Amino acid sequence: MRIRSPRDFWAGLAFIAIAAAFIGLASGYRYGTAQRMGPGFFPIYVAGFLGLLGVVITLRSFVLTGPGIDSFGFRELLVTLLAVVLFGLALKYFGLVAAIVALVIVGALADREARAIETILLAIGLAAFSVGIFVYVLGLALPVWPEGLADMVKGMLK
Amino acid sequence: MEILGNLALGLSVAVGWQNLLYCFIGCFLGTLVGVLPGIGPVATVAMLLPFTFGLGPAPALIMLAGIYYGAQYGGSTTAILVNLPGESSAVVTTLDGHQMAKKGRAGPALGIAAIGSFIAGCVSTLLIALWAPPLAEVALKFSPAEYFSLMLFGLIAAIVLARGSLLKALAMVCVGVLLGLVGSDVNSGAIRFGLGIPELGDGIGFVVVAMAFFGLADVITNLERKEAETTYTDTIGSVLPTWHDFKTSWWSIVRGTSLGSVLGLLPGGGALLASFASYMLEKKVAKKPSYFGEGDIRGVAGPESANNAGAQTSFIPMLTLGIPSNPTMALMIGAMMIQGIAPGPQVMTERPELFWGLVASMWVGNLMLLVLNLPLVGLWVRLLKVPYRLLFPSIFVFCCIGVYSVDGKIFDVYALAVLTAVGYVLLKLDCEPAPLILGFVLGPMMEENLRRALMISHGDASVLITRPISATFLIASLVLLMILAAPTLRAKREEALQG
Repeated sequence: MRIRSPRDFWAGLAFIAIAAAFIGLASGYRYGTAQRMGPGFFPIYVAGFLGLLGVVITLRSFVLTGPGIDSFGFRELLVTLLAVVLFGLALKYFGLVAAIVALVIVGALADREARAIETILLAIGLAAFSVGIFVYVLGLALPVWPEGLADMVKGMLK
Repeated sequence: MEILGNLALGLSVAVGWQNLLYCFIGCFLGTLVGVLPGIGPVATVAMLLPFTFGLGPAPALIMLAGIYYGAQYGGSTTAILVNLPGESSAVVTTLDGHQMAKKGRAGPALGIAAIGSFIAGCVSTLLIALWAPPLAEVALKFSPAEYFSLMLFGLIAAIVLARGSLLKALAMVCVGVLLGLVGSDVNSGAIRFGLGIPELGDGIGFVVVAMAFFGLADVITNLERKEAETTYTDTIGSVLPTWHDFKTSWWSIVRGTSLGSVLGLLPGGGALLASFASYMLEKKVAKKPSYFGEGDIRGVAGPESANNAGAQTSFIPMLTLGIPSNPTMALMIGAMMIQGIAPGPQVMTERPELFWGLVASMWVGNLMLLVLNLPLVGLWVRLLKVPYRLLFPSIFVFCCIGVYSVDGKIFDVYALAVLTAVGYVLLKLDCEPAPLILGFVLGPMMEENLRRALMISHGDASVLITRPISATFLIASLVLLMILAAPTLRAKREEALQG
């Protein structure tokens, strides 16, 4: 047996894994009856069908020939994920401005051609734009500055 | 005439200075982002969603609709000038549009695209006003069983008309449904698939899913690709087509509009199918001499009218049945829910000002696009030259702010990261995100309708096939699936969707 369509093979396995996880969790919920469907009723059927499809897709990959999987862009992927997580952390503790600067400067590294000065200017520009539009014009509830720092500045001004 | 009264009510809402302003901002921003290479309408609508959060339901929907057709139009501009389709529905436009641009006729190509889109927009707006009320009336009589079967049919039809492997698309629908079920069960209050994380109790935000799959995962794949050499066309010339151009393309516009309006109604139809079908039709009916593929203006006029007509009429199932026929409509439904409106046939009767205001604003928006785009084309051309390395960090910023500001939960930002990774891997495995997002939106509704249907029938599942309308939908779904299993037709479908 040889895998002829790697994309199908791995996609099928991924679907089987997702189905198994959902069935595993859903089997802990009350199933109920058809007349009174419990929280586990519908997910079990959907996940079961997904698992079935996964099996068919995997088996089919031994018969049908398909293209191989392109190499993963680990740099692009990991840098992006890191930048997004940093945005979340920074937003929580340091406010929107710091979060955007972190997101842009780290995120820009996902591209090998990133240029330092350009990126810093972009970060400042996007931070100013976002605060202006989202916070002042649209009035979305976003923390702009670190709370502690803002209080400190207020104290100094008094 | 009731329809005139309705349209008058709509116009009175749409031309209020406030809504007019939001319609304008929507069209402008939509075109602005849509023009940028590599950003399609779904990503555009998702990214610009936070701009509408502070608004009321009517202005928010009007602005979103503006963003949608602005993005659609912007995508055509990119297709013609740079040969880079922002999304699949603009692929056809590159065929002849870019050839025209290469021959120094970029101006007329852009002009006829705008004029064709405008004509299509006017006709399809009228069609929405005509067709939506009777459809909503029928839909109001649907029982849960009919709704369940209709949604199933909608999902299956959407898969059939999408590209790629059918089985994988079906599987993606299931994954979407399961993700949609995460959170507390409306009926029992039990938290499902919460993994012990309290934030998951409210479920996964649909904006998070949309941004992850259509925003960030896409950016990462774009970054991997070596930047292709692109040929920019600097000389646009007059955007007004000549009289001869107009005469040649008039019937193409008419055919494109009719075809697009009908295809837009189908689940999974919308702009993509409409533009492909129109191009094939134009090639078939064209009298010699025809220069398709070498810059024939009919190859721009037909598909551009069709995709705009399809984009507009795809609002009909969304507004009357609450069923999204494509990912953009799924986003619109999500936006309505964020605004606290349950999409469905009752919107028209309960919120007539909202419904008719939106319909009228479509016409106003199309007029704006025409007025906006022809003179501003020079600005859009300059935007095309923004390098991707400046663009993608900006996409990051809009995605992250958008995701956070829906509910003000930091958790959503982390969820965005996780789902982006999932979306990226699935993209690598040739699994399209569109079926997933449709399943995500429809899944919980399907469960609820199935639950109600079975409760009324005392647990007898045969209610789904004994009620005639429900049975029709189920049979139609089955027929669609069987047609696809037939190898000859499958080859035909692939050929058609490859263009």
